[in-house]
Amino acid sequence: MKVELVNIGKKYEGREQFTIRHIDLEIEDKDFCVILGPSGCGKSTLLRMIAGLNSITEGDLLFDGKRMNKVEPKDRDIAMVFQSYALYPHMTVYDNMAFSLKMRKEEKTVIHDRVIEAAELLQMTDYLYSKPSEISGGQRQRVALGRAMVRKAAVFLLDEPLSNLDAKLREHMRVELVRLHKSLETTSVYVTHDQTEAMTMATKIVLLNDGKVQQVGKPSEFYEKPANLFVAGFIGSPTMNLFPGQIEDGVFKADDDFTVEPDQADKESLAEYQGKRVVMGIRSERFLAGEAEKNNISVEVDVIEMLGKEQLLYCKFPNGKECVISEPGHFKYAIDEVHHFHLDLEGLHFFDEETSERIG
Amino acid sequence: MKKKKEKGLYLSDRPPLTAVKVGMLGLSYVLLFFYVFVILWPLAQILFASFNGNHGSYIQIGVSFSFSMKHFQYLFGKTYFLNWVWNTILIALATAALTLLFVSFTGYAYSRYRFKGRKASLMAIMLIQTIPSFAGIAAFYTLHSIIASIAPWFSRQMFLILIYAGGGIAGNTFILKGYIDSISSELDDAARIDGCGNLQVYRLIIMPIVRPMLAVIALWSFIGPFLDFMLPSILLNDPRSYTLATGLHTLINDVRNMHQPVFAAGGLLTAVPIIILFIALQKQLVSGLASGAVKG
Repeated sequence: MKVELVNIGKKYEGREQFTIRHIDLEIEDKDFCVILGPSGCGKSTLLRMIAGLNSITEGDLLFDGKRMNKVEPKDRDIAMVFQSYALYPHMTVYDNMAFSLKMRKEEKTVIHDRVIEAAELLQMTDYLYSKPSEISGGQRQRVALGRAMVRKAAVFLLDEPLSNLDAKLREHMRVELVRLHKSLETTSVYVTHDQTEAMTMATKIVLLNDGKVQQVGKPSEFYEKPANLFVAGFIGSPTMNLFPGQIEDGVFKADDDFTVEPDQADKESLAEYQGKRVVMGIRSERFLAGEAEKNNISVEVDVIEMLGKEQLLYCKFPNGKECVISEPGHFKYAIDEVHHFHLDLEGLHFFDEETSERIG
Repeated sequence: MKKKKEKGLYLSDRPPLTAVKVGMLGLSYVLLFFYVFVILWPLAQILFASFNGNHGSYIQIGVSFSFSMKHFQYLFGKTYFLNWVWNTILIALATAALTLLFVSFTGYAYSRYRFKGRKASLMAIMLIQTIPSFAGIAAFYTLHSIIASIAPWFSRQMFLILIYAGGGIAGNTFILKGYIDSISSELDDAARIDGCGNLQVYRLIIMPIVRPMLAVIALWSFIGPFLDFMLPSILLNDPRSYTLATGLHTLINDVRNMHQPVFAAGGLLTAVPIIILFIALQKQLVSGLASGAVKG
């Protein structure tokens, strides 16, 4: 089912400001759409509005072109997985999963078949008759997924479903969720604050901040072409290095005392920024070791984080400005040494300092 | 139960007792035993007095014991005791049922819904709590005569039920609201998506979870009419319609009709329905009281 949000806004009772406003979004059928954002940006509110748990103050919510604003949650053909799983503590796993079907007065045999089918798919037949309090966190997570699955709803809503799991299990469930999404052939909307989850699972990411959409697109676009300074700083780990500076004669002069001559494409888009303030961004892996003819920096290594395959060098410019550089793990660096690097021109991002929008 | 003695191994998680601590522990035990004695001694006296045939109209100290059922025979034969029991149980059950029904609604509504006057009305309920219901006795009296003049079937017992239930609803709304507050509202959301309406959310999801607290509330409202003497003694005017407390009181408040041992026997039997209810609700009560203690 195609989910469309047209100019949607939400204002809570007793609040002065809209929590989110002017949200336009199209989620195609069978998309795995991840709504990403820092906490308090209104992403859960958006999801709850799609679910019908929060009312829509302005704008339209369309499912396959039909307006759903005033439709009860149970009639929207959705299923939802909650952060706390929200399993009914007084019911067994089986009853938890069967509950929604029972409420819809399905045949007993149909209910049983569906529950067993979901249980087998999620490998939880062993504890079907246990209470939620008797099973582990990971198992509860599965039950919550199973409960949403048995409905065979057209839209699958997930509200930070993995945030209560330990790192290992989270990694495992990420893959499993994607697999599940494929086999169910539904539209999924997934809310998270974890960019790794977003980057690895989504077919489409929506990045929210301050109640506004910052960027919509494929995961790779977010990494390679961040739309503004917020996206640049939010996506990617370690965080992108940002250097404020000025364009003079087609050359970027950083406040931190180095100059960069951008490549032809960047030069063209920067043409109208002659003499204006811009911010240059570069990811840690785009620093290349050794000196080149131009675009060099020399920094002092402050802290080294050895990750094996690569190492992160937290370096300092002479004026104290910090930057993070990643180099292959087998290169030899030591703390307090001064090293020279040059910049990979294809990996540069320029942003207007005033509007913080991307240039080019 | 197998208990193996492991010699030389200190298995307790607490630090070993010093001489001072042993002394303090002994003192605590002495105090506790004294407390138990204070509670159990009068109960034992009631028990002995009600079975002692040597007592006359009064319970006297120093009378020798001879087992007899004559006080119970008098209680069942010459007084309206069975009426009183029946009345009290009826009133108590009706009170408990009414209280549970209304508290379910009010507690759930106050916990889950935001509406105009929510805070103010909660505060009002709390303040009204501080005034004893007995203060309104004149108002109750007039109210009843007004209602009874329109609807003659509205008995004084029914009015008593309303007064008890009214008081119970106010106080217990708070307790239940607090208890429901502690249940994640994501459960409500999940139920709503699963297809429940408002009442179904309460009946199918919330109520089973708050059952321990409902059991506590039921027990409290059930015990109330057994303990209250003042309201029924003023409102009820026919000895047949008395509750246990007022009925039994007639056995000790007049020299011409003084039967203290019979009063003791009646008091002993009064405990029976409450004990039965307590045993029936025991499983729920223990968890309810325990969680109530934590949640306040």
